[in-house]
Amino acid sequence: MTEEKLKELLNELTDATAEPVRPGLNEDIKHQIPQPFMPHRGGWDTINIIIDLRVSKLAAAAVITLTTILLANFFGSRNSTGTDIYQDGKLLIEYIFRGGEQTHRSDVLAGLSKLQEALAQQGREVVYYDNKPDTEDMYAVVMYRKLPDGRYRVIFGDLTTKTVSADTLIMLQTRMLQKKTK
Amino acid sequence: MGKKAQSTEHKVDSAHLISEQQSTEGDQEYLQQRRDSLAARLRAGNREAAAELVDLYYGQIYLFFRRLGHSRQVSEDLTQESFLLAWYHIAQLRDGKALNSWLYRIAGNASKLYWRKHPSGEPASIEGLDVADKKEAESDKVERHEQLDRLKDAVARLSMKLRQVVVLHYMQHLTIAEAAEAAGIREGTFKSRLNRALKVLRKHLT
Repeated sequence: MTEEKLKELLNELTDATAEPVRPGLNEDIKHQIPQPFMPHRGGWDTINIIIDLRVSKLAAAAVITLTTILLANFFGSRNSTGTDIYQDGKLLIEYIFRGGEQTHRSDVLAGLSKLQEALAQQGREVVYYDNKPDTEDMYAVVMYRKLPDGRYRVIFGDLTTKTVSADTLIMLQTRMLQKKTK
Repeated sequence: MGKKAQSTEHKVDSAHLISEQQSTEGDQEYLQQRRDSLAARLRAGNREAAAELVDLYYGQIYLFFRRLGHSRQVSEDLTQESFLLAWYHIAQLRDGKALNSWLYRIAGNASKLYWRKHPSGEPASIEGLDVADKKEAESDKVERHEQLDRLKDAVARLSMKLRQVVVLHYMQHLTIAEAAEAAGIREGTFKSRLNRALKVLRKHLT
């Protein structure tokens, strides 16, 4: 049988298998459209909850939320890039504080230290540099963990999260040491 | 089901899709504009656009599940589930061009998850094809119908991966690029699977 003939038959089969759909199925589906219908994006939910609940300018809430989002990204349960996480965090801080994000980024970093202790107790291998990194430095390693494929998931000083190779991590650590000895 | 109820059933076919493929450049441009507008309204959170998406796609998605071998009831459930997932992942919809592949990818994943949860469930053959009911049952058409019957069985016997590529491209009429994206594989891989599937089908029919 030629390929053309086969394709022709497949076309015919398409028509022959076009069976009726239960009446009302489309209406059933329409009833399930969420009200309000809002596009969902990771990171925005937290902001929406805070706006909806009219939470006051509570610094702790921002720090806890940011740390949670950051760690979710760090451990891979959040499908977003490091830039997204930073933008989400920035938006949250801007909403709550209307400025002064630098101060609160330091708070998040301090919070990471406490979390690292808790994670270590749970047996999770996470390395944390308790050396007060420059919060603007996108190359300062704050925390890292090894991934099963041999690469490393790293949180940087500017709170971005990236996956790097072992060689890159060594390079970053060398850079940090050089910066410290200066 | 009574005759009256049957008459109210929505007969879904792929005519509009086929005509889409054969339509003029102007029609294509109009369809693309419509899809772009729909995608933009969906991303903006427009509820009417969501209802429009359901009307436009629910029949296609239902048939997609049926052609993948799910029973009528499961296909209905999976169609509803796919739209629920679509609402949840609406922010991932890039533009109108990606509408087909985005929705079919969600549906394909829902199907995969179903088979994973129900590994003992045998994929059903496509029940819609009933050669005996066809009006053109003259002797010269009998051979054609037998071929169609054999083809239906051959499609049902394909592995899920091969069956999916055949259904997406030849039965749901997605372009190679759209179908590859919907299947979550590269175009080259998709074409290679399609060739393998056609080879298997040809072997069954000869």
